[in-house]
Amino acid sequence: MALDQFLTTLDGLLEDAHSSLERVGTAEALEEFRVKYTGAKSGALKSVQKMLGSIDVKDKPAAGKRFNQVRDRIEELIAQAALRLGGESAPKSSGPLLDPTLPGLRPRIGTVHPITQTLEHLKEIMGRLGFNVTEGPEIEDQWHNFVALNIPEDHPARDPLDNFYLATAKSLSPPSTGSGEAPAERLLRSQTSTVQIRVMEKEALPLRIISLGRVYRPDAPDATHFPMFHQMEGLWVDRNVTMAQLKSVLRLFATSYLGGDVNIRFRPSFFPFTEPSVEVDYWWNGQWIEFGGAGMVDPNVFQAVGIDPEAWSGFAFGLGVERLCMRRFGITDIRDLYRSDVRFLRQFAT
Amino acid sequence: MLISWEWLSDYVKLDLPTDQVVDRWAMSGLNHESTQWVEGVPVIDLEVTSNRADCLGHIGIAREAAVLYDIALTIPNPNLKTSSRSVHDVLTVENRFEQACPRYTARVIQGVKIGPSPEWLAKRLRAIGVRPNNNVVDATNYVMMECGQPLHAFDLAKVKSNKIIVRAAVDRENFQAIDHRSYVLDSQMVVIADAQRPLALGGVMGGLDSEVSDSTVDLLIESACFLPMAIRRTARKLKLHSPSSHRFERRIDPNGLDWASMRCCQLILELAGGELLDGLIDTHGEPTVAGPIQLRRHRVAQVLGIEVPWDRCGQILTKLGCKVDSQSDCMTVEAPSFRQDLTREADLIEEIARIHGYQKIPENASVPMVASSRRPKDTMMHSVRAIACGAGFNETLNPSLIGKSVLDRISPWGSQDPLTTWVPLLEGASCLRRSLIPSLIAARLHNQAQSNRDVRLFETANVYLPQGDRLPKEQFHLGCISESDPRVIRGVFEEIVQRVWGPEGPELQERLIDFDFSEKGSTVAWFYQDQMLAWVGSLSRAVATSSKIDGSVAIGELDLDLLLVWARSVPKLKALSPYPAMLRDLNFVVDEGLYWSALRATISDAAGPLCKEIAFQEIYRDTKRDGAGKKRVLLTLTLQSDSETLKSDQAEALVGSVIAACQSKHGATLLA
Repeated sequence: MALDQFLTTLDGLLEDAHSSLERVGTAEALEEFRVKYTGAKSGALKSVQKMLGSIDVKDKPAAGKRFNQVRDRIEELIAQAALRLGGESAPKSSGPLLDPTLPGLRPRIGTVHPITQTLEHLKEIMGRLGFNVTEGPEIEDQWHNFVALNIPEDHPARDPLDNFYLATAKSLSPPSTGSGEAPAERLLRSQTSTVQIRVMEKEALPLRIISLGRVYRPDAPDATHFPMFHQMEGLWVDRNVTMAQLKSVLRLFATSYLGGDVNIRFRPSFFPFTEPSVEVDYWWNGQWIEFGGAGMVDPNVFQAVGIDPEAWSGFAFGLGVERLCMRRFGITDIRDLYRSDVRFLRQFAT
Repeated sequence: MLISWEWLSDYVKLDLPTDQVVDRWAMSGLNHESTQWVEGVPVIDLEVTSNRADCLGHIGIAREAAVLYDIALTIPNPNLKTSSRSVHDVLTVENRFEQACPRYTARVIQGVKIGPSPEWLAKRLRAIGVRPNNNVVDATNYVMMECGQPLHAFDLAKVKSNKIIVRAAVDRENFQAIDHRSYVLDSQMVVIADAQRPLALGGVMGGLDSEVSDSTVDLLIESACFLPMAIRRTARKLKLHSPSSHRFERRIDPNGLDWASMRCCQLILELAGGELLDGLIDTHGEPTVAGPIQLRRHRVAQVLGIEVPWDRCGQILTKLGCKVDSQSDCMTVEAPSFRQDLTREADLIEEIARIHGYQKIPENASVPMVASSRRPKDTMMHSVRAIACGAGFNETLNPSLIGKSVLDRISPWGSQDPLTTWVPLLEGASCLRRSLIPSLIAARLHNQAQSNRDVRLFETANVYLPQGDRLPKEQFHLGCISESDPRVIRGVFEEIVQRVWGPEGPELQERLIDFDFSEKGSTVAWFYQDQMLAWVGSLSRAVATSSKIDGSVAIGELDLDLLLVWARSVPKLKALSPYPAMLRDLNFVVDEGLYWSALRATISDAAGPLCKEIAFQEIYRDTKRDGAGKKRVLLTLTLQSDSETLKSDQAEALVGSVIAACQSKHGATLLA
């Protein structure tokens, strides 16, 4: 059989199928149509397929290709017609059909609080820089919150009005400054530096740690102040840690956090637990932005935890997590973080 | 600290734009707050850290500029003519309270004429926000703002018996200050008194009836040293803060008393005339001497990470007022008495660094790499948050302290009263929470007020459980609240336990539990030995109504510390059986009160190791057919062997023994 003739037969078959399918109006008629064209024993396609055998060998590939196309097309037409007609006799679909007029069924997924997201981000970056995560109690004694951190009894930071001291049955009034009472009073920690002390008291050197968590200071709440907030504190103690390394670690951190090359600036400052002490700013988007406080661990702090300041040196830095978080997410009122409003919380879907 | 640029020029000649100098100051420790023009003069507000009392006067700030720009610092040298009469003839001072006032000095000027100050002086005071008063009071204020030493002038005629007594106040002693207010003192406060009454509250404020007035003729000029603790306490307690108390709280120069006194007398003699009596009354003649500090050359680079030329180090310290004896490897340094913050080598290195410039410290030093690892707790928390979020819960964070209300009594983890703080965290909130539920209920209320629907919240935070006299226990919890069926929270908890512990976790006991805040008979808790791991239930209608909550309130709490104890580090693969599994659906009619956990345990025991899974499908009630108090439980068993293809008679035998066990143990009957 000549190729031309074969192809004409195929085209005629496809045309027939088209026009007779248009007249098919019931499922029964469609089944009849299906048997007539694609039936395994005596369907029209089957008959045409038999003609393939008498095609010239060199024309066989072309003929076979065209045959397959026509067969696929007819099967597709049958499937479409079945969809159109619906009903029991339609070929079984693999499950519920998509109703294209309806929106998707979206899973309801909760959100992680922006402060938690920030804390996790900080842990991840500092982890890459070799800092392990540590934590300590929020209710502290005077030793860890003040004394060991080189904050003497006459320091204003210890004032009862600047701290959340715990009320106890024994003392019926808050401890007063300079009253000479035994420093047994407990308080909510005012800084995460307390964890530094706890870690240096028991861990072997060298150390590279961060501690993150809630801290408490009596501040009247407003858009930028809240009496409870989060800090991240970093500490590195080793044989020859320098301020240049402090600056370099902070630059690596800021570059990681902000995702671009960032410069760091030190301004002199004063903290009892570091000497020298600096305020740290980073240069970002054309301005200097306050980052936090830092410095070299004060020799008195080392002595308080039994580390020889001649043999070891270290740096520490601390920063407010809320400020980083608010800047990142465009939050302008710190109080919104702690209102539990789901319209707020649901926006931090990441 | 407000600085008048014009005033500053008395001590240093700065032919530079103010902005430029202000930047240098900021980079060397004096933060710039603002610059304003007052009567045509720039007035600069600088933030002075609490260790730098020396910068609470114009001379201190000028010294910083002189060091930074390496220019000369000119300090006035008061040179006074005195009368032949001695101060000791007209005044005695007795110090009975050296613990608060280690040194008290006094001079006397007779025959002054009180009047207004000249314009140059009044203008300088106005520039820095000090209201001019009269020539004598202005002179004392001027010298304080010049050198940082507070001074006080008394009308000598008001000092009874010509005797000053420095003493502790008597408890509840009354004192009227020059602010025309009355203060009640206590015995830890220091007063400057005569034989009869307090004339001044030492270091804080003068008294009304000994203040200098238009009729004053003879003056007592006090220049004294009060200790920070005593002054801070007094100022705090009386809520009376003055420029004087501010300076004493930061420790003034104990050796600067005499200079300030002479400088003040010089000004008064110039402005108000009179005659200075010879001599000085001084209760403690010895100057304070600080010991020398050794600065080792190698330490500078060791701390800073950069080399600072050794002669530059010496130069900086000298310029700052130190006496420096420099050897090739070590320097002996005596800090000036106005820099009481310099006592150790580290302090000197900081001075060198801040003057040399922190911008010279590089930000690309090498940082050796070390490994760090994720804590099991962080791994656990990752799962906990993922599961809670996957169930549609939003994470919230709430303050750790709550107020007293019906809610603060919700304490499923212990019955001791909550710890409280003296100062509330927020209005009324002074109880450290013993459970996360009260905060979550408050959060729910907030959302209700905003008409936010279908609120599901979780929080992970510490609760604070009192332990009698011992340190309280801080326990890390997960708390959940939702409007849905409490089974959702239960399911979240079950999923968390299963994921975190894996199949090898310890066995838990399930118990009905009664809390006074939850619905009776519908609160379930899980225990590991005697320790509660978690509980889930519904808030009682009574509590919900009294807190004005609409809708149903499902709540639950889980002890994450206990969860962590058994957390597995990594899931370990159990080899898959190559043989086919058989599924068998069973539909039991059981008593209403039968727990799934009990039924499950029975099936598990009866079916043995060939039963790979016992899956709860659903519950159904048909009281017409099954009778009252019955329910139907549909479940599916997965039976599979690791060593052979199960034959159907083996499977039927297993199912048969399961049915028999359920019947004998629970009276369960199988529905055909």
